[in-house]
Amino acid sequence: MDTLLQILFNGLSVGAVYALFALGYTLVFSVLGVINFAQGAVFTLGAYFTYLLIGGAVGANGLLAGLALPFALPFWLALPLAGLAAALVSLLVEAVAFRPLRRRRAEPLLYLITSLGAGVILVNLIQLLMGAEGYSLPADSLGALPVALNLGGAQVRTVQLVLLGVSALVLIGLTLWLEGSRGGKALQAVSEDATTARLLGIDSDGMILLSFAVSGFLAGISGGLVGLSISITGPYFGIGFGLKALGVLVLGGLGSVPGAVLAGLIIGLAEALVPSELSGYKDAVAFAFLFAVLLLRPQGLLGRPQVTKV
Amino acid sequence: MNGAANALEALPLLELRRLTVRYGAVTALRGIEMQVQQGELVTLLGSNGAGKSTTLRAISRLISPAAGSVFWRGADLAGVATETTVRLGIGHCPEGRRVLGRQSVAANLELGAWIRRDREGIAADLERCYGLFPRLAERRRQLAGSLSGGEQQMLAIARALMARPTLLLLDEPSLGLAPKLVAEVMATLAELHRGGLTMLLVEQNATAALEIADRGIVLESGAIRLSGPAAEVLADPALRASYLGSG
Ligand SMILES: Nc1ncnc2c1ncn2[C@@H]1O[C@H](COP(=O)(O)OP(=O)(O)OP(=O)(O)O)[C@@H](O)[C@H]1O
Ligand SMILES: [Mg+2]
Repeated sequence: MDTLLQILFNGLSVGAVYALFALGYTLVFSVLGVINFAQGAVFTLGAYFTYLLIGGAVGANGLLAGLALPFALPFWLALPLAGLAAALVSLLVEAVAFRPLRRRRAEPLLYLITSLGAGVILVNLIQLLMGAEGYSLPADSLGALPVALNLGGAQVRTVQLVLLGVSALVLIGLTLWLEGSRGGKALQAVSEDATTARLLGIDSDGMILLSFAVSGFLAGISGGLVGLSISITGPYFGIGFGLKALGVLVLGGLGSVPGAVLAGLIIGLAEALVPSELSGYKDAVAFAFLFAVLLLRPQGLLGRPQVTKV
Repeated sequence: MNGAANALEALPLLELRRLTVRYGAVTALRGIEMQVQQGELVTLLGSNGAGKSTTLRAISRLISPAAGSVFWRGADLAGVATETTVRLGIGHCPEGRRVLGRQSVAANLELGAWIRRDREGIAADLERCYGLFPRLAERRRQLAGSLSGGEQQMLAIARALMARPTLLLLDEPSLGLAPKLVAEVMATLAELHRGGLTMLLVEQNATAALEIADRGIVLESGAIRLSGPAAEVLADPALRASYLGSG
């Protein structure tokens, strides 16, 4: 019995991070109508930033071998700072891979190539500077918190509670901001009808920048959380997660925030229910599930059916 | 000094000089000239494709003219972004309503006041809009997309008013409305006009528009066919001819 509870917790905590990460794609997609394929690399950077900010040292193989920051921050402070740094990188990606194309009104397909290119460059930079090796965040990253807690008779890793808690907090904050604040409503206005938004005086370029910054922050935080939970496996660490989050995005329905949350939790749970002796097939299970749902509901779980605008 | 002040007063709020607009190979406006004075209600008439919406789009800089210019309070708007024209006092209630259907009526109106920071003034104007359109007040929490066509039109007008424009550009506010609603909308516009708002009203419903306007301008194939005081335009046989598309 208690193993089922553990499995559920595993699934929910990973799923919550998928949801967080997928929302980053959603924000940019909803204002620009294109997918930012550099998200996976920004996620990876978020993990490395977190590792460095809590005082981790660079391994032997990178250009920066042996380097460490002169200070070591607690995880709860390092994580949001890593998110902010990732947001800056995301703004850089926008300036390099998106803005020049937008000025020329390029085909949406071209953004796929430029953002993928920006992502590859970022991953290579990490490899150059920090080497190809994996890094793990030290076991005492969470300070005095115990490694596991006893919840209703089941042993649950504290890390998983942190994943779940932080994701829930950020998701709630994001929803309140989008639905309740002036800026959030303006962002939604740009995503629904950019021309009308401009006629109301909303600076659509500013809103695009905002969406990149927030989506970079979400990717960075997700990276830091996953890094804490399963350690950083190397510079390509974010690629698989990026694909998974993209799957979550499509499963939830492009542009739908509650859809991304629901889909993240479902994929997380579906993966967690794969028996451990078959864990090598986790991704296959997740994508098979995605495939099956899309056959039945091409618009995703909570997406609007595609209607052509007249 | 006095002379200079008088000259300033005579300066039209809006002036189009030899405005030419092209969409690729299509020439939509052919060097049109017009002026709108502070406080005037001018109606821009013409049949489908005459270039009415294009004129409004050029004024709020959704498109750049191929030649000629738009002057606002004597300054050329060349190079000014659409977002900025709103801040300069030009409100544009676009063709086809374009309410933000996924947000509430109240959120649409709040976004109409996006350029303003005076919370109290905004709240007062919100109540004024609800007074002007009581039907919106009843539906303030409803999603704008679920309003009827007429209600959406009222919302679009109210939203444009929330920016407190000096000049309001209205693109066919009566389109698709039942005759009773057309009369209602026209009466509201007349009331706003009496309150001092300057308007450039694009309409297909020429009679209804000319009844409330000070002046009328009739466009035909991107050129001005007829213009003058509303009563004269209404009486001119060329008005009918222009709508029937005959020379
Ligand atoms: N985006 C566009 N691309 C190409 N041609 C356009 C475009 N928009 C308008 N036109 C053309 O420009 C001309 C003027 O169009 P405009 O929309 O200004 O007409 P209108 O007077 O507003 O007509 P309606 O009463 O039907 O709204 C038309 O011939 C139209 O086909
Ligand atoms: Mg038109």
